[in-house]
Amino acid sequence: MSRSGVGLDKECVPAFEDLKLGRDKSTKFIIFKLSDDKKSIIVEKKGTEPDYDSFTAALPENDCRYAVYDFEYDLVSGEGKRQKLCFFTWSPDDAPVRSKMVYASSKDALRRALNGIHADVQGSDFSEVAYETVLEKVSKGQGSK
Amino acid sequence: MASAGQGGPPPTMEYGGDEVGALVLDPGTETTRAGFAGEDLPKRVIASQYGYIPPTEEGGEGQYFLDDINILRRRGGMEVKWPMQDGIVEDWDGAARVWKEALVPQLCESLAENPLIVTEPAWNPVKNREKTTELMFEQFDVPAFYLARSAVCAAFANGKSTCLVVDVGHSNVSVTPVYDGLILKKGTQKTPLGGAFINQQCRAIFAQRNPPIDLTPYNLIDKRARVDIDEPAHPEMRKFPDQDIPHTASWLKWCQDRLVHDFKETIVQTYQQPSGSFSEQHLATQPPRLYEFPTGFNTNFGSERYKIAETMFQPTLATINPDDPLPFDPATVHSIGQIVKDSLQGIDVDVRQAVLANIVVVGGGSLLFGFTDRLQNELQSLYPTVRVKIYASMHAAERKYAGFLGGSILASLGTFHQLWISRREYDEHGAGIVEKRCK
Repeated sequence: MSRSGVGLDKECVPAFEDLKLGRDKSTKFIIFKLSDDKKSIIVEKKGTEPDYDSFTAALPENDCRYAVYDFEYDLVSGEGKRQKLCFFTWSPDDAPVRSKMVYASSKDALRRALNGIHADVQGSDFSEVAYETVLEKVSKGQGSK
Repeated sequence: MASAGQGGPPPTMEYGGDEVGALVLDPGTETTRAGFAGEDLPKRVIASQYGYIPPTEEGGEGQYFLDDINILRRRGGMEVKWPMQDGIVEDWDGAARVWKEALVPQLCESLAENPLIVTEPAWNPVKNREKTTELMFEQFDVPAFYLARSAVCAAFANGKSTCLVVDVGHSNVSVTPVYDGLILKKGTQKTPLGGAFINQQCRAIFAQRNPPIDLTPYNLIDKRARVDIDEPAHPEMRKFPDQDIPHTASWLKWCQDRLVHDFKETIVQTYQQPSGSFSEQHLATQPPRLYEFPTGFNTNFGSERYKIAETMFQPTLATINPDDPLPFDPATVHSIGQIVKDSLQGIDVDVRQAVLANIVVVGGGSLLFGFTDRLQNELQSLYPTVRVKIYASMHAAERKYAGFLGGSILASLGTFHQLWISRREYDEHGAGIVEKRCK
């Protein structure tokens, strides 16, 4: 259980497993949000668009979200492609304090349930979730677009 | 999080709905904040000190005076006592009086009806945590209780579960790394360069002037005449019915501190460049600012107003007043930049980058003009290759009361009811349960 007592909807983990194991080929990212009664975390959207920009476009400007993105990049050395799962905590500056608070204190519930995440990104504006910033973090400087 | 230990989860029916009407208490060394869960600002902000007149020789009882307005009034022989030092309770009887004053009767008729969440600093010892729990259940008779780390509350209120909380408080400046909503004790550092130290620096500057500046507070002055700049002032003192019993030094200092506080807010400013480039000659060319004291005396402050704040970053520049010596050695005390460094040294390498990019600045002291910009410059020059980003709320109140705000939202969450320590659990497990539940 998280610090806030918020729980996890039963859909969340299977959706993530499908993405991780490639069972659901079309899914590229998953966006999670808090249910309307603020008692559990639910799957808001499964994204199928392959480009990264449509992922960042799916993040609201003034509310928080969690997301998992299946990040793919080429190695600089030319040794082929790599795929890494990346966990996002999206908490923009313009989000209401209350929302920021619930998301920050409930992150644990979701994050601990997901195994096999390679990198964690905390984003508070779009520059922090920009492709280059995340690439740098995920590939530890070894990747090129 | 481990639920309830051996006792199973707490009965959820007890505080089922969203409306639990919980109270929030955020005690500090200088002020104590209290209000209802779910509100953005504390309803009550009172001084954490109390006035005390000891019993006379004929016997009788000592008299206590609580809340600013009662302490402010001149009373012969009244001492002002500070029940908390460095964020930690030292005088339990006094602290209990102050806390109760903050809550009852303005916020509720009796504490027996509302759950209470209390914040505490990261360095609160286990013994004190248990003692607080005991006090709440035994003396305040609360139905349910939770003890939250104020750094975690501040982090959550800024939307971060991993960050470095820099809290510029009254008695100290503290740096607390928070990782996934838990504090990292090894990385918790503090330095006594907080608001009290800045007050002392202001006083040292006043004492250095020739003649020294008279800090008689407003409440002792009856009338004052307008005087020209730097001319001596001759205010008329107020006469009190108990004039023959002198007021105490601790009371006078307490009143003067409020005056120094105002000076600090209006005049003191931080220098923008990192340590090392501070130059009084350069600052002397900046336009000075005028300040008028309660006596009517008014004068200009030039480079001094930068120097006062600069000592937080370079303590060796501290002005020494032999009549009021510093409680620490300025040559060895760690500056704010240094404690951030110490803190990062104490935590895992992988976490360092993550927290440097998420620095949350809170506390009333951080409202010194230009403080966050200076901190950014200072840390960036200490870590030139890493991205340093500071998050500081634009609202003064959100920074001053960040601990309250975080605790307030946390306690108002409909799902939080599972985490309260209920009376039944306390009766069953004793005060030790706080260590298990409130991590």
